[in-house]
Amino acid sequence: MHPKGTAYKSGFQLKSIIPILITFLTCAYFLYTWAINSQSSNILKSSSNNEDLYRPDFNLFKETDQVSYTDLLLDVPATSNGWENNERVLFLVPLRDASEHLPMFFNHMENMTYPHNLIDLAFLVSDSKDDTMGLLNKLLKKIQNSNDPLMPFGEIEIFEKDFGQAVGQGFSDRHGFQAQGPRRKNMAKARNWLTSVSLKPHHSWVYWRDVDVETIPPTIIEDLMSHNKDIIVPNVWRPLPDWLGGQQPYDLNSWQESDGGIQLAETLNEDSVIVEGYPEYATWRPHLAYLRDPYGNPNTEIQLDGIGGVSILAKASVFRKGAHFPAFSFEKHAETEGLGKMSRRMGLEVVGLPHYVIWHIYEPSDDDLRHMEWMRQEEIRQSKAGEIKEIYDRNIEAGFQLIEYPSNLYGVQHPNEVTLNGFLNYKHEIELKLIEKENLFKQRRRYFEEMLDDEESSIKLKAVTTLASLEKFKHKLEHEENIN
Amino acid sequence: MSLAQTKRFLQRFLLRSNPFKLFITFILILFLYYLISGSNSSENNSIIIQNRKKSSYNYKPSLNLDSNDNSNNWKPKNLPADHISHYNLNKLKSTPNALLNNEKVLILSPMANFHQQYWDNLLKLSYPRELIELGFILPRTNDGDIALKLLEIEIKKIQDPKNKNISKFSKITILRQDNESPESQLEKDRHALKTQKERRSQMATARNSLLFSTIGPFTSWILWLDSDIIETPNTLIQDLTAHDKPVIAANCYQRYYDEDEKIEKIRPYDFNNWAESDEGLRLASTMSDDEIIVEGYQEIATYRPLMAHFYDSNGNIFDEMSLDGVGGTCLLVKADVHRDGAMFPNFPFYHLIETEGFAKMCKRLGYEVFGLPNYLVYHYNE
Repeated sequence: MHPKGTAYKSGFQLKSIIPILITFLTCAYFLYTWAINSQSSNILKSSSNNEDLYRPDFNLFKETDQVSYTDLLLDVPATSNGWENNERVLFLVPLRDASEHLPMFFNHMENMTYPHNLIDLAFLVSDSKDDTMGLLNKLLKKIQNSNDPLMPFGEIEIFEKDFGQAVGQGFSDRHGFQAQGPRRKNMAKARNWLTSVSLKPHHSWVYWRDVDVETIPPTIIEDLMSHNKDIIVPNVWRPLPDWLGGQQPYDLNSWQESDGGIQLAETLNEDSVIVEGYPEYATWRPHLAYLRDPYGNPNTEIQLDGIGGVSILAKASVFRKGAHFPAFSFEKHAETEGLGKMSRRMGLEVVGLPHYVIWHIYEPSDDDLRHMEWMRQEEIRQSKAGEIKEIYDRNIEAGFQLIEYPSNLYGVQHPNEVTLNGFLNYKHEIELKLIEKENLFKQRRRYFEEMLDDEESSIKLKAVTTLASLEKFKHKLEHEENIN
Repeated sequence: MSLAQTKRFLQRFLLRSNPFKLFITFILILFLYYLISGSNSSENNSIIIQNRKKSSYNYKPSLNLDSNDNSNNWKPKNLPADHISHYNLNKLKSTPNALLNNEKVLILSPMANFHQQYWDNLLKLSYPRELIELGFILPRTNDGDIALKLLEIEIKKIQDPKNKNISKFSKITILRQDNESPESQLEKDRHALKTQKERRSQMATARNSLLFSTIGPFTSWILWLDSDIIETPNTLIQDLTAHDKPVIAANCYQRYYDEDEKIEKIRPYDFNNWAESDEGLRLASTMSDDEIIVEGYQEIATYRPLMAHFYDSNGNIFDEMSLDGVGGTCLLVKADVHRDGAMFPNFPFYHLIETEGFAKMCKRLGYEVFGLPNYLVYHYNE
């Protein structure tokens, strides 16, 4: 090969490659930027705008936090995997005479898997007569001073505010139909106070939680968050004693609006509050609680119009937009159900998970309490009947002895004569008691059979289970009678 | 590689390599092992880690966090050692002697434009700045950017920690709206009534975002002061709080130059302060749920008594009148009213929206709403 040629050839290559490369790169760059620009201006007009938005520099005040700037769109996003993106959750807990449940609640807190340093806690202690405050402090201190570096939570705020109680806090006081309206309005105020004083610009999510939850997955926040909805609630059930059927839907405040509900609302005056779960208000609404299938997919979502407050995860933007717990009758609803209604009105997503269940503690209802008291009385009666039977048996022996020795009976007054009279008396008494019991059975059965016809399915369920247990008890008694 | 080859390779490697290097490698491996086992032992003690292992989620923070230094990197600071703070809200009061009782006032201004006169007027207020918190919310627009830059300059002048002579506001929070702002208000002025609902709904959302991000456990009063209010009495806060009303609105007027008479004059500006009329109620009852009534349009004649028309230049400035709708230009609210839940509906609420809907919501919560027809504040004149 010619040496000159090679030199010439290599020179040509060097000279030409550089400009070709440069032109190619510039062309590519222009094409790229043009493509990006046209894309963003067509589809995401605002997001290209977002990049250019001015941000003030307040580093001067970094120490004191006296002046702060927050872009509510870019700085506090709420995404489906917030725990990976440093998103802060405001964890809100309303408390009233709750010391009994606090240890259980803190056990759940310790178990929670969402990064604790990203959770800010806020408690509102109101109208408490027990040592809720003292115990709360003690348990919080313990958790904050834990050896585990993952344990302590972010900012913790405890607020005290009394709203004055219109009604007592016992189950029957709280859940009686008449008490519901005013009670829920007060509860709504308490919730609004808690959100308004604790919500800060850096919060991405708000999680509402009642203390009296017995069983809940440690991943509850992640599980709800991964659905990436404006407002989301799980299904809430409660365990029951075996004699009442083992388990029962608890939270009837999560429902979808029905024609029946709308018609009922139209008949009521402006200040009325519809409360679910009372036969006075038959709304025929599909309740989240009753849609549960124990083997269903826990990720199934259904759209809701009213929600319960046991465990609500919402984007902080929901509360920033003004959605709150109406302490007045908003479209005939108040508190958490009102929040659901209002959020729907604002065009927000309100979703429930029918097959994802958390368990509320068992709080016996009035009927349950009465039934329990009756069962207890029965037990006493049974043991008494047993005692009586013993005496009866002994007297029979004695009686036969008397028959065997009639001379004694008609001769001197036998000491056992008194016992014989006693035996007859006892027998009569027992017979009377059995009749009384029989009547009581009939009465109770009639009562529950009437309940069977009730439209409200929770009542129906209760009636069915109670009747079954009554029947069982009856058999037992009849069996005993046969023995007697 | 055959066994023999491997053996030869290893032999050569061991012979040729520096024993020092081998030693360092060994130490490094030990260190690595220690790291892994060490973190394991602490992991086993933590319930949280154990629970996480059972779940299907990934708990490693995502990598782009560090690069994006402005967004969600907020960390708790200035907290007590155990991060626990107590607030007794039972002691929080809003009284007619606000100044005497050192009650904190939160001044909230949605800001589309920055007017120097607004800021100057704010600085002239005689209520102590230590008791005042400020909150601003700006739209995601060019105007918002310009206003923000001007606001930033002014804030730095006043709040600079090095500048010890000037008293400072106790806290300033600036927010950027998260919702889309209507592109240009001029463009849409043509069919104003039609877009009024949308515009005011956006405005309501902005007000709520500002309110619920800034109201705190010490706030006794909230003063809504529009950023176009350029002139108020210096004692504005003291005057309004003295009435001790849950909600009270000043009368908003505007100064202008009358070309015909060649003199400075004033004219009413804010027509959203009104008392309900029978005609207004009748009108509402005929409307569908999604329709709203707004004042100042001939299409909707409500014949409502408007506070703007009740101004009497000789009247007592402390005269009150009962209202059913309010505007947000200059409005004092007891913080309890907002905490109870009263907000600015961004949807038709009894056919009312934004500040007017707010007044209705206050009434639904059992609070009275008042206005001061003879107490004037002045709006900017474009």
